[in-house]
Amino acid sequence: MQRVIGSLRLVALIAVAGNALMPTPSVAEMSVYTVNYPLAYFAERIGGDAVTVHFPAPPGIDPAFWMPDPEVIGAYQAADLILLNGAGYAKWIGQASLPRRKLVDTSRSFRDAYLPGEKTPVHQHGPTGDHTHGQIAFTTWLDPKQAIEQARSIEAALVKQDAEHAASFARGADALVADLEELDRDLEAVFAAIEGESLLASHPVYSYLARRYGLDLRSLTWEPDADPGESGWQALDALLAARPARWMLWEARPLDSTTAKLDARGVGVVVFEVGVNRPDAGDFLSMMRDDLEALNRALGLR
Amino acid sequence: MIDSFYLATRYLLFHRVRSVTVVACLVLVAALPIGLERILAESERQLMARADTTPLLLGSKGSSLDLVMSAVYFGGQTPDPISLAEIERIEEADLAYAIPIHMGFSARGAPIVGTSVDYLDYRELTVAHGRSFTILGESVLGAGVAKRLGLSPGDSLTSSPESFFDLAGAYPLKTKVVGVLEPSGGPDDLAVFVDLKTAWVMQGIGHGHQDLTRVQDPTLVIDRDEKKVVGSAKVVEYQEITDSNRDSFHFHGEPASFPVSAALVVPEDERAGTLLLGRFVDGSLGGQLIRPRAIVGDLMTTIFRIKEVLDLAVAIVGTAAILALVLVFSLSFRLREKELRTNFEIGSSLGTTARLLAAELMLLAAASAVCVAGVLFVLDRFSATIVRGLFVT
Repeated sequence: MQRVIGSLRLVALIAVAGNALMPTPSVAEMSVYTVNYPLAYFAERIGGDAVTVHFPAPPGIDPAFWMPDPEVIGAYQAADLILLNGAGYAKWIGQASLPRRKLVDTSRSFRDAYLPGEKTPVHQHGPTGDHTHGQIAFTTWLDPKQAIEQARSIEAALVKQDAEHAASFARGADALVADLEELDRDLEAVFAAIEGESLLASHPVYSYLARRYGLDLRSLTWEPDADPGESGWQALDALLAARPARWMLWEARPLDSTTAKLDARGVGVVVFEVGVNRPDAGDFLSMMRDDLEALNRALGLR
Repeated sequence: MIDSFYLATRYLLFHRVRSVTVVACLVLVAALPIGLERILAESERQLMARADTTPLLLGSKGSSLDLVMSAVYFGGQTPDPISLAEIERIEEADLAYAIPIHMGFSARGAPIVGTSVDYLDYRELTVAHGRSFTILGESVLGAGVAKRLGLSPGDSLTSSPESFFDLAGAYPLKTKVVGVLEPSGGPDDLAVFVDLKTAWVMQGIGHGHQDLTRVQDPTLVIDRDEKKVVGSAKVVEYQEITDSNRDSFHFHGEPASFPVSAALVVPEDERAGTLLLGRFVDGSLGGQLIRPRAIVGDLMTTIFRIKEVLDLAVAIVGTAAILALVLVFSLSFRLREKELRTNFEIGSSLGTTARLLAAELMLLAAASAVCVAGVLFVLDRFSATIVRGLFVT
């Protein structure tokens, strides 16, 4: 009889201990999908542990022109929130079926301030028929003021989805905004030092940066991994003849031969990454800080 | 009494045709009004269930009933369209979210519903085979459509032309079937679902064609400069969206101006719904916002008023039938006068004869009651299926 009671006590002890060792089920995290890395970074900074951020575009592919397969679009459909950049960013959005109630257009608050994008020919059907419109510039986050509005839009969306973590989201957003404001001040100081000077850009992706800091910026359409060819160099010479420029902004380091030819024309290369993809090391803010440092070095300010 | 029932049973079986006829009359008189009542009650239940799961419906000003029948039950006349901007205005109020519904096209007799994937989530429609639509040019079939047309994921389904006489109208679009839904027992089983943008392509608002900035054939281009290319009428639009030509599909005009037939509006709570309704009453928002439950309720009230007239007609016919039966029985007794006299002469008392006749009537009544109970049992068991079969499939 005592053996039976002892066995029962042992079984009860094991059951209690087993229960104590079972992990407590955690509160479900909010699943957030984004269309580019800057938005992913903002969501991670603001959401913290309450949010799992997904940015499934493969590294090395420009997310603006990436086309996800049906399985990935299915993953977007299943997300709690889908953060869009707005300004026509991510061509695939116009063809994909995404749940409207989960979409957040993070730049909606300043959509009246969008700038025209790369000039491409439009087409029209018949002399008086339907026609397409030109593109809109979509690198909205390069203006830190706009980036702040996008961050606040993300904060509002997260709070609406999960009011319990509102205070945590507010802290994350405030910290991010403080960093973006500091970046804005530093960029303003750098560009103020070259006020009145003309700049060149390898690609028309710096429109919002130029507007924010009052830059005289003229853009070409050159790729960093290819020589622009004779016509490209002639176009550059024409621009330089009209208004000289000492620096050219690039999204990535160009070929050494391109750098040499630019140097021969008195134009220095400044790599100013746009930040669309997650970097191998660092994050969005460190990338912007690196861009700032590159500017400082090029302009001889450091 | 048992002897009376035995003799009555033998008599009724001997005259079985007459007995069955009398039982059939009694069953019809009793079961018809009750059966109609049950079918109508089930129809009301199903209609109201569908209306109840549609809190608010946004559409153009006009017939509320047409709006509900089209957007909720996918039948009837397609209402005048509203623009996507009106749906966005609802969403900007931050009191509800809206699910657009585009009607007007069909494919082999099944209505094509252009909407967003929110619709499938909201109606709790799950995919039985394949997957939901994810991109332009894909379609998902209701269970009934897939069964009727013998289609499954991987097949294709082409939209029907709007009108054979409208040569300049929208052309048929071939869609790729990517999924079949689980049966839901409602109008969703009979519909084909596509993304709203695919419906706009069917309407001709979006299309795909060769890149006019790169074509070499001079007959495809009327005019060209560095800013604009003007295409001629010879430019052929693609009738199918494939992986190789999907990138060429584009829309002309502002998306906010594109048409939708209606929108399911799901308010955050009752208060938000009331506030939204108020904004339509005071005219600050265009179109009409209605509660489908109220519209269907009014419809059912009208149907039940008509039913009251039908009930009266059935009651009059039933009374006439009973009177006719009474006449038949009394004539039958008169015809059986010789038989009844023979019973009396062989020793049957008046009371015994009366018990015999009463037993016949009771057996007829009992048989009718059993048949009526059987009919009503079957109706109760299968009323939902019967109503769906009559009105849905």
